[in-house]
Order: sequence, then structure tokens, then C-alpha cells
Amino acid sequence: MAKKKIGRREFIKSAGTVGLGLGAAGLLGSSVKVRKATAAQTRSNPKTPIKLAAISFLTGAAASPFGIPGNNTYKMLADVINREGGILGRKIDLLSYDEAGGVDAQVKLCRKLVLDEKVDVILGYISSADCKAVLPLSDELGGLIMAYDCGTHVLMEGDKSPYKVPKYTLGFRTKAHLGIDNIGLAFMVKKYLPDIKTIAGINPDYAWGRDSWLIFETAMKKLMPHVKVVGTWWPPLFTTDFTAHISALMGAKPDIVHSALWGGDSVTFTKQAMGMGFFEKSKMAFSRGEPYPQEVGKDYPEEQLICCAGTHYFLYPPHDKWPLNKWFVEAYHKRYGKYPTYPCYHAYQAMYTYKHAVERAAALVGGWPTIEEIAEAAVGLSIQTPSGHLMIREDHNGIEDVLLGFSKKVPEFPFPILDPRRLEVFPAHMVNAPVGVRTVDWIQGWKV
Amino acid sequence: MWPIYILNGLYFAALIFLISLGLNIILGVMGILNLAHGSLYAIGAFMSAWMIVALGKGAPMFLIYPSLLSGVVLAAFFGLFMEYFLIRPMYKRALEYQLLITFGALLLLEDVIKMIWGGEAYYASRPFDVLGKIHILGNPYPAYFLLVMIMALIAGLLIWIFMYKTRIGVMLRAISLDREMATALGLNIHKMGTFAFVLGSALAGLAGALVVPTTPALLGFGMEPLILAFIVVVIGGLGSLKGALAGSLIVGQTRSIGIVLFPEIELALLFLIAAVILVAKPEGLFGR
Repeated sequence: MAKKKIGRREFIKSAGTVGLGLGAAGLLGSSVKVRKATAAQTRSNPKTPIKLAAISFLTGAAASPFGIPGNNTYKMLADVINREGGILGRKIDLLSYDEAGGVDAQVKLCRKLVLDEKVDVILGYISSADCKAVLPLSDELGGLIMAYDCGTHVLMEGDKSPYKVPKYTLGFRTKAHLGIDNIGLAFMVKKYLPDIKTIAGINPDYAWGRDSWLIFETAMKKLMPHVKVVGTWWPPLFTTDFTAHISALMGAKPDIVHSALWGGDSVTFTKQAMGMGFFEKSKMAFSRGEPYPQEVGKDYPEEQLICCAGTHYFLYPPHDKWPLNKWFVEAYHKRYGKYPTYPCYHAYQAMYTYKHAVERAAALVGGWPTIEEIAEAAVGLSIQTPSGHLMIREDHNGIEDVLLGFSKKVPEFPFPILDPRRLEVFPAHMVNAPVGVRTVDWIQGWKV
Repeated sequence: MWPIYILNGLYFAALIFLISLGLNIILGVMGILNLAHGSLYAIGAFMSAWMIVALGKGAPMFLIYPSLLSGVVLAAFFGLFMEYFLIRPMYKRALEYQLLITFGALLLLEDVIKMIWGGEAYYASRPFDVLGKIHILGNPYPAYFLLVMIMALIAGLLIWIFMYKTRIGVMLRAISLDREMATALGLNIHKMGTFAFVLGSALAGLAGALVVPTTPALLGFGMEPLILAFIVVVIGGLGSLKGALAGSLIVGQTRSIGIVLFPEIELALLFLIAAVILVAKPEGLFGR
């Protein structure tokens, strides 16, 4: 009799313990399924507009060739997406902001947008200096930030290889970094200009310029170790007078000059160099040269080595093979009277990474996702873009192939295009360091 | 290439000379350090650029070059406006008030430029393109740069003749040498001051107008010339025309040759020279 009593009590006790344990495990464990089940029941499906902040240079040297095309693309795509019903039925309320004013101003603006305005996402930043300052704010303030254009490779890299990824939970860069441009240039120089003996560099004196030259020099030392660097010049960003630099470059007599000058600096440099006879004796290797033949016009010199910051070019992929590029180029040209350039393609990538990440996260959670869920869904996302494909890796960087070519005048266009006979595309695995490996370490580990 | 480096230095010196000459005239006659001087340079540049762009690609050359003068006129006008409304009430106040007022004018003028001409860059390179290149000892060199040097030389000569050979010029120099005595002798300080301010502003506007065919007119691009003009004043001496010439030549050549020989420290080099002069001869090379 006593045994039976104990047996029942024991049974109830152990059943209770097991039950409590299961309940606790269910509550405490990564009960995503449980959370999802309850979430699905209580998840909201708001219909209010999505507050999307787009930040680009709208004034200053970088505006006309760069920030304004980027912002124009955001406007065009917001209209397209809204016409198609928005993202999960929510229209995009596009708020454009100016990236001018320096790093301090951008940090202040970011705080205001995340904390006061409570925007859903920030798609922004062209300047590497701004990105480096703002991206840490994504986790600090709890705001989703997708850097759409800045290029410095150190943004997401650690101090040594291997480094932990991702660096920021809520911070992304929806494009590949400057590694692809400068490694691609080195490959092109080796293939098409194997006889050169000397190189020089003229790069803006901040993270972007210094890092671009570092990667190019490291790759060149590996691929063509006999080539000598005859000089490097570092004009401040937004310099307006390159005349002394141009003369100094001409005096150093390099076979080719590397440059990561961008925006107005690139246009001003090219125009001044044209006027000073620079291109009679030297040629340039522009790591981000793709927009400038259109900006400078028909007098832009031929035979300049130009990289497209990815495979972003209005003529590539060819329109017969890749209808999305055809659509994008025609829609942009119709609305703005110019062909889209790489800031435009980058804006597309940022906008559609956000859209697809939201849609993917929403399918998993059954309603409008939180920013953490959107960030989780963005990793591993592979989307079609007008330039081909973009993949967002676990280090929160985009991974892309890279397109390079030489400028050539043709009768069909009022500015030089990239010579179709010497267009090269290097695949992503040749120009992007593997996850967790620093780009410099990766290059130095190559066997050539 | 050394002849080219020297010529670059002279081209740069020519522009800085015009800006610092204007600054020195205002400083010498009125004792006012005009922090908004760079903004007047920018106004000259924007106005000239806008005019050239507005005239269009097909406009004849006899219209294009004189249109650069529109920048000079507008800068002079803004100078007049500034002097009457901002500087004149501050004459008797301490130096700090004048610095604050002119700094405020600098910020104000930046926004005025943005309001009138927008935020984008203005390229107006036709006056530069049409003159083409000449060859100097086998090296190509833009003819437009030589034109700028000639214009700066002419302006410098005219100012020198004006200052030393005309009655008004003598009066201006008298005021700058001894203000009280000049007043006692019955010179109209206020009218002379206004004249000097307008003249100085016009020179800044001329520098802006001359630079715009080679470099784009951009928001904020008056800052660097302002700083360089201050360095010239430190090196050459406050209020001295000879000092403005000597200082500009030193600054121009240092920049040009510094970029060739010491590219990493191009900006630091100039400040270093200014620091040396401040320590060795604080009143500047030709200062009083």
C-alpha cells in the first residue's frame, strides 16, 4: 500500500518536474518555433508607409557626378516599387538627405534619424570616412543601416586574420568593397600592359584613397614584382586644383598612374590633365572610373584603364542577354536624360536588398519583421540586379564580380565607352577575399 | 620639367597675389581682417562661371572673356554692401567684434551662394580650352595659365601706380600709415575705407573669375585661398604691397615644388614656413 502511494506521489512529482523542465526549456531555449507560432498569431501587418532615409552628396563636388545620380535612382525605384504595391503592401516614403558637412554632421544626422525620426532603414553613405563613423551606430542605436557605396575594405574587416564576422549585426554594405577594383586593375595591368616598368599613384588623402592604393600596390607587388613605384601623391578630398600634382606626375614619368579619385575630383583632375597635356605622355588606371567618360564628354582621352566598381555599366551585361539591365538603363535615361552609372546600380542593390530581406523575413515570421529579423534574412540573400547577381555574405559585405576595360571613342555615343574587344570580367572568387580573411593577408598568401 | 614647376608656382602665386593684395589693402587702410574675403573670391568665381555657362557653347570669344569681369563687379558690389551694413558700425569696436562680424559674414555668404547658384559644381572651361597648349622646352603648357599671370601682373602694376602716383592712392597710404594724423588732416576716413573695401573685394572677385576656367566653382572652395592669403600676409607683412608680392611668390613656389619633392607634406610645408617667419621676423618680410 505504502509503495503504491509513494509510487503515485513519485510519479506526479517527476511528471511535474519534467513538465516544469519542458516548460522552462520551451520558454528559455531558442524557441524560435514557439516564438514564431505566438508571433504569427500576434504579428502586425501595418499599412503605414515605410520611412526610408537615403543619404548621398546632394551639394558640393561629389553631387553632380555621384550623389545626385544615386539619389535619383532611389527616387525612381521608390516610385516603381510603390506603383507595384510597395513592400508587403506598405508604400515607401523616401526621405533624401545630404551627405555633405563632414563626419560629425553625419553622425548627428544618423542619431536623429534612428532615435527621433525612427526611420525603418538608412540606405546611405558614399564617403568611406562617413561609413566608418556611422556604421558602428547601427548596433549602438539599434538602427538598420545599409551602406550603399562606400568602399574601404577595413569597414568590415578585423585587426588580423581570421576575424569574427559579422562586425555589426545591423550594419551592411550592399556591394563589394574596393578590393575588387584594385585587384581587378592589377590583373588587367598584368594581362594587357605586361611590359610596364613604373607606376605612380594619385589618390585622395583619406581612408578610401589610402586603402585603394594599399590594395593595388600589394597586388602589383605580388603579380609584377619588378615594377617600381616612382611616386605617390595625396591631394586632400575635394581639392579643386591638381595642376601642381599633374606636373609632378608628368615629371616622374610613370608608365601608368593608379587613381581612386572619384566624383568631382576625378572630373576636375581629368579636365586639368587634358589641358596640361598629361595624356600625351601617360595613362591612368582609375579604380572607379566608369562614370567619368560620360561626365567629361567627347574629349575624354582614349586608352584609359577603367574599372566599374563591380560589373556596373550601362552596356553590360548586354541588353539582349540581361533584360533587367535594359529596363534599368532605359527607365533611368528616359527619366533623367543620362545613362546610369555605378552609384545608380549601387542604389538599386541597396534598395532591393532591403526589399528582398524584408520579404524573406516576413515569409518566415508571418508578418512585418523586426529589424533584427530583416538583418538575419539579409545574410545569404542572392538577388538579381541590373548588373547580374549580388550576394550578401555572412560578413555583411556584398560579393560581386568586377568589370574592367579601356576607354574608346565610338560614333554611337557622345562620349568614349569601354572597348568591347577588351572587356574583362574577373569572377568574385578571384577578387574578393574569403570570409574572415583580411584582403591584404589573402593577397600576400597567393602563389604566383 | 623644372621650367614647368616654376611656371606652375608663378600661376599659383598670381592667383594668391590678387587675393592677398585685396586682403592687404583692406587690412592696411581699415585695419580690418576680413574673414569673408574667401567668400568674395567664391562669388567672383560663381558669377563668372554662371555667365559663361549662360552664354552657351556657341557664344563668340569677344563675349566670353569680358564675361569673366561680371565676377569682379558682383564681388565689388557685395563688398560695398558688406562694408556699409556690417563693417561700418563696427569701426570703433574691439578687434574681436570685427572678427566675429566678418566670420558671420563668411557663413552668411556661403548660404547666399547656395541660395543663388545651388549646390552643384560649375564648370566653365571654354576660356581655358580655346587657348590650347604651347610648348616650353619640349613640355606642353596651357596658354591660359600664362594669361592669368599676365592679368595678375597688370593688376599689380595698376594698383602700384594707383597707390603711389595718384592722389587717392596717396590718401589711402596715409590712412594706413597713421589713421589719426590722416583724420586730423581732414581726410574722409569713411569714404576712403569704403573705397578700399570695394577695391579689395574686386581683387578677390578677379582672382575667382580667373580661376574658374580651370577649376570648378564649388561651395566652400573659398576657404583654402583664404588660409593661403593669411599665410601670405604673415610671410609678407601686414598691409604691405611688396609683402603681398613676395609672400605670394614664396607660397606659390613652395606649393609647386613641395608637391614635386615632398608630396606627403605639401600643406604642412607652407605652415612650417609661416611658423619660421613668425618666429624669426614676426612683422613679416616687409611688414612695419
